Amino acid sequence: MADRAIVDKIIQALAEYLKRDAATITASHHLRDDLGLDSMAVIELLYKIEETFDLQIPDQDLVGLATVGSVASYVEGRLAPAKPAAKKTPKPTTTKSPKKRKAK
Amino acid sequence: MASRVVITGIGVVSPIGIGVDTFWTAAMAGQSGISAITSFDPFPMDGYRSKVAGQVRGFSPEQHIGSSLGDRVDRYAQFALAASREALSDSGMQMEKESPHRVGIIVGAGMGGMVMGEREITQLYLHQKPHRVHPNFIPVITLNSASGIVAMATGAKGPNLTISTACSSSAHALGQALQCIRTGQADAVIVVGADASITPLVFAGFCSLRALSSKFNDQPERASRPFDRNRDGFVMGEGAGALIVESLSHAKKRRARVYAELAGYAATSEAYHMVIPREDGEEVATTMKLALNAADISPSEVDYINAHATSTLIGDAVESKAIRALFKNRADKIAISATKSLVGHTLGAAGAIGAIATTLSIHTGQIHPTANYDDPDPGCRLGGISHDPQEKKIRAALLNAFGFGSNNAAVVLKRFRP
Repeated sequence: MADRAIVDKIIQALAEYLKRDAATITASHHLRDDLGLDSMAVIELLYKIEETFDLQIPDQDLVGLATVGSVASYVEGRLAPAKPAAKKTPKPTTTKSPKKRKAK
Repeated sequence: MASRVVITGIGVVSPIGIGVDTFWTAAMAGQSGISAITSFDPFPMDGYRSKVAGQVRGFSPEQHIGSSLGDRVDRYAQFALAASREALSDSGMQMEKESPHRVGIIVGAGMGGMVMGEREITQLYLHQKPHRVHPNFIPVITLNSASGIVAMATGAKGPNLTISTACSSSAHALGQALQCIRTGQADAVIVVGADASITPLVFAGFCSLRALSSKFNDQPERASRPFDRNRDGFVMGEGAGALIVESLSHAKKRRARVYAELAGYAATSEAYHMVIPREDGEEVATTMKLALNAADISPSEVDYINAHATSTLIGDAVESKAIRALFKNRADKIAISATKSLVGHTLGAAGAIGAIATTLSIHTGQIHPTANYDDPDPGCRLGGISHDPQEKKIRAALLNAFGFGSNNAAVVLKRFRP
């Protein structure tokens, strides 16, 4: 389980984006299936998260960022440089990365 | 029966060559025009996720346009002018012998004059000197500057239009030219597709959209790989293509050489999402079917498809699914190639450059390879995609083009029979 403060920040960002009460969003929520974010919305969310945590998320890392919790774990891994991000990044819970669902 | 319309001239400015001969030799050799972007002077590429593009090399307005007209327009319009000049000359059409109001120009462009656009906006915000905004800023960034300059250079005074439907712009331009001639508005139309916006802001925007390939920054020539399992996004390109389209009677009157017949066109909207296609491919299949109906051609006569195939994960899969749904058992027998594997995605120019490849394939029976089709993705496997050149007598061909904003175009070209 990722650091609570990180999870809260991500939930806050989602609540603002989705215009809904943060209390109704949990770490286990799937971005697409539970919260209804399409691939473009996920990319907008990650854009916001990059700013919040002063990160750049490479395209290749998008695979697996499917739930609120997996995004939080990923961010936590990236913020702890002593422990390589790859080891902290959870295994993909789905093969459907946001990038897979785009574009013309 | 609808009147017949033919293609009699072609011209191209592309990342694999300026001029049709160079372009086609490189295309048939499967040569990639994708290279590293070394810098967006003055800042480096560090912050960009993607660092590769299909860049036009060695373009000189003096050499390729040969007049001061090019000085007043942006790079995309210079490309448009160079391609139009080549196409006109190739067609043998002499404007001084034409009735000027019977020759139209339809340009497809997605982004427009972004080189000057970005520069002037940056300068204004940086120095806050509005009186120093260049006097040519507005005419240059206006999206119809290319159709305007081509008219001035050629003297064509017929319909002068610009179609901007993102990545499908010039496929629609070609289709609209067909309608324009069939409805009697013009005898001939110079159809152009052009874009040149590998610029710091636009390129950053496509990076942020996470639409571009970023896995092959160290091997640029491998980055554009439509239908391949390892594809990871499109590669931005730049360029222009031009085609002279005219009524058969007009072409006959001036004894023009005919490359191919422009037979039909369909324009649809998925009414679905700004950047995501419908995953079931139904709308793409419908668009191709409507174009074939308009051309009065049965799916059994289609021997070649110039696919939209941008090298994105979902786009290529959706198009493959649509081809299989429409052509059923024949789907594996149709030759298919992705011109974007060679030049990248030239946005507004893509339809016109794809149409030139299609025209040449119908005319010569040679089909260019799909570069980097090394490990076929089972999700888009179709028997007619090949990383080798193919030879085939083509009766009818489809050109596909899909654009942001949920729009689709399909154009039918066929072998010319007098």
